[in-house]
Amino acid sequence: MQGFDFKDWEKEAVKCIRCGACQTVCPVYQHLKAESTVARGKVRLIRAAIKDQIPLTEGFAQRMSWCLNCKACINACPSGVKTDRLVEAARTELARRRGLTPVEKAAFRGLLKNSRLLHLVLRAASGIQGLFFRPGPGGNGVLPKLPVGLDSRRLVQPLARTSFRSRPVKMAPAKTKGKVAFFTGCLINYGYPQVGQAVVEVLAKNGYQVVLPPQHCCGTPVRVGGDRETAVEIAKFNLDALADLQVEAVITACASCGLALKNTYQDLAAELPLYQKKALRLGGMVKDISEFIAGLPGWQEGMGHLPSRVTYHDPCHLARGMGISRPPREILQGIPGMSLVEMAKPDRCCGGAGSFSLIHYSLSLDIGREKALDIRQTGAAVVAAGCPGCMMHINDALYQSGVPAQVRHPAELLAEAYRAGLREKKGTEAG
Amino acid sequence: MQPAIISELITIVGKENVYTSFEDLFCYTYDASFVPVSAENVPGAAVYPGSAGEVAEVLKLAYREKIPVIPRGAGTNVSGGTLPARDCIVMVLTRMNRILEIDQANLIAVVEPGVVTAHLQREVEKLGLFYPPDPASQAYSTLGGNVAECAGGPRGVKYGVTKDYVLGLEVVLPTGEIMETGGRTVKNVAGYDLTKLFTGSEGTLGVITRITLKLLPLPEAKKTLLVVFDQIEQAAEAVSGIIAGGIIPTTLELLDNVYIRNIEEYAKVGFPVEAEAVLLIEVDGDSEVIDKEARKIKTICEELGAVQVRVANTKEEAEELWRARRSAFAAVARINPTIIGEDVTVPRTNIPAMVKEIQAIARKYSVIIAVVGHAGDGNLHATFLCDERNEEEMNRVEQAVKEVLAAALRLGGTLTGEHGIGRMKAKFLPDQLGNVSYQVMKSIKQALDPAGILNPGVMFKE
Repeated sequence: MQGFDFKDWEKEAVKCIRCGACQTVCPVYQHLKAESTVARGKVRLIRAAIKDQIPLTEGFAQRMSWCLNCKACINACPSGVKTDRLVEAARTELARRRGLTPVEKAAFRGLLKNSRLLHLVLRAASGIQGLFFRPGPGGNGVLPKLPVGLDSRRLVQPLARTSFRSRPVKMAPAKTKGKVAFFTGCLINYGYPQVGQAVVEVLAKNGYQVVLPPQHCCGTPVRVGGDRETAVEIAKFNLDALADLQVEAVITACASCGLALKNTYQDLAAELPLYQKKALRLGGMVKDISEFIAGLPGWQEGMGHLPSRVTYHDPCHLARGMGISRPPREILQGIPGMSLVEMAKPDRCCGGAGSFSLIHYSLSLDIGREKALDIRQTGAAVVAAGCPGCMMHINDALYQSGVPAQVRHPAELLAEAYRAGLREKKGTEAG
Repeated sequence: MQPAIISELITIVGKENVYTSFEDLFCYTYDASFVPVSAENVPGAAVYPGSAGEVAEVLKLAYREKIPVIPRGAGTNVSGGTLPARDCIVMVLTRMNRILEIDQANLIAVVEPGVVTAHLQREVEKLGLFYPPDPASQAYSTLGGNVAECAGGPRGVKYGVTKDYVLGLEVVLPTGEIMETGGRTVKNVAGYDLTKLFTGSEGTLGVITRITLKLLPLPEAKKTLLVVFDQIEQAAEAVSGIIAGGIIPTTLELLDNVYIRNIEEYAKVGFPVEAEAVLLIEVDGDSEVIDKEARKIKTICEELGAVQVRVANTKEEAEELWRARRSAFAAVARINPTIIGEDVTVPRTNIPAMVKEIQAIARKYSVIIAVVGHAGDGNLHATFLCDERNEEEMNRVEQAVKEVLAAALRLGGTLTGEHGIGRMKAKFLPDQLGNVSYQVMKSIKQALDPAGILNPGVMFKE
């Protein structure tokens, strides 16, 4: 496989001095207890596998699957060992030697690589999802009623009847200050179109015209699943579509998409000089919506009151991945009437972690329940999270734990504040 | 391991607390000490008992079947103290992690062995109390492991080490009998001091299942100073001068030139790169008293030729000074991937001589050795920066380590101040103890562990 040699990763693995600091932060280890489930253990297994001292068994594959890619261990590690990359390399090697499972093959190479097919399948699925799902409590999400590969307890986001990107009406700014592109990602496009709408609205309110360039899945599920080859193809498509755009920024509102576009494409394109350049250029253009807005002069103008108590969850790929934790808080604190109450360990992983929650739902939920309890402690009615993946999992965890808080994207709350501002203005004018 | 033994283990601790798959067991083949990757010596089972009773049952079984048992906490020791033997039982005590009691009136805490050190510290500090021992791994090491290794830390100069805080223990002997030592009083001279014997016994005599710890009132405030010296002798004189001046600082950390250069390069903290020594000094206590002490320390250091004295007046300024110390590890980790920290300790007036010896040994074997030390108690961490994949270099490192150990003994010191003998230094132990003392220790081991099942290879070379 181009640009990948498992043996190259020994120099990263050897940096682990086995001090054990990762034990304090790894959410998976805290539940499973076995040394093989903490970063130190996984790195040791990977190192032994690289040296051909242990075989790549099913047991090895399972240990590698027990990683949320939450990056907490990297921050806690005195040597800064990149366990996320090592686990990804091990999964890539597993896929290379053992091949992908038929389901993975269909998902990675069939659907996620082919945006048109994905679109057709999901559009068809949205029409018939009523056969397989029943509405969740109070119209919140849906619960599986037939076996569809999801844990039957699980509260998920229904597929949007019309995906965000196929919706005709977006919104144009009154006065154009500039132009940005919006990379929606799959989850916003198919599950949370209202987040996409909010992103466009807040950008328009601040004078930005938004273009929606053609786009694939960002490739993160494919890459962390070990199918590097497909991930490279997806990255190339998106780089062709985005890197040469004449826009001020490429906006993301999903932490994992943002991190992929900003950082990981540079690694995926490492062996392809032309794409490497594009990846560097795109990396410089990518801005998370909260980062972009909070950096604009005058974004606080025109907001109305939203009296509420809100807490903020730091998505792993936003806080540790992209280094963004202040801007979303600035936005929430800037909304008149809103009070931000910090939860304990706001940057601890919610346990969702994309496909992790499909493979290890019970564990994923156990980790999520802790997040739900931390949220309950704050007494907040609303929990904000800048990533639709976290939003879906936290919503499920809150439901399963009986915590009556609502999950929203900061962009949604900001859009609501702007709308409230307009209403207040009209009210004043009328009065 | 025979299936019959495994099913007995399962009967004792429950199925979910016994690990037998190869991948799980492979991950108990290491601790934080330096050992090359190896698929040899994979244990036969890892068990997580939940009570002293379960520990006793497992040990009875192991004693009957003559199966080696390796007690383990968070696996953070750097002495090879928890490296397993082939087909042994690794007994992990992290499930027993309850703080059983914090007695404010008697200044006592009673804990299970799996409680993480920093967790206890946070809990007692909420009540205005203080548990001083602070090994570098305190955020993740367990108290059971701290007691078994008699862990130290920077605060040793003023507050002593783990053994100074252990009042009593519950211990399961290798035969499965449960025993109590000590009690809940500071004064207690009934019989031999078995509490001290088990503290620092490195898992060779028994498994600790409950610990009674002495606590102190939490000092009101702290003050931090950072002092730079051109010559290491001046730094050593300053340490003696401060103590002669009637001040015992909480910490007296010394960084050598290898650290100074690398920290400056890495973190840009404003160190003169030619300086031979930096002292990071902290005093704690009543806030008026420590202000006076800080001024006095400043004067003493300046008189002895310090080229830079920085006193932190706010929490933020103190943070900034500690940033230099905290970046030390990452700064040197850039040079080479493998980091081996020795912990020889000499009488504190011999620190300059010991540092010179270390520098000469580094030159002789062309190895990089950085020195960070707890200068107040003579405990020096000679840090070897090497690459374990380079066999030829590792041979030189091994020779250099041997010479460092020999030099420490020549200067009236010890092979290990706070890490323990473990498996890494077992062959050197007779060099320090002499034959009589060594044989006495062996007889104690023989008396308590007649079958030799508990942590074999630790302390005494097999």
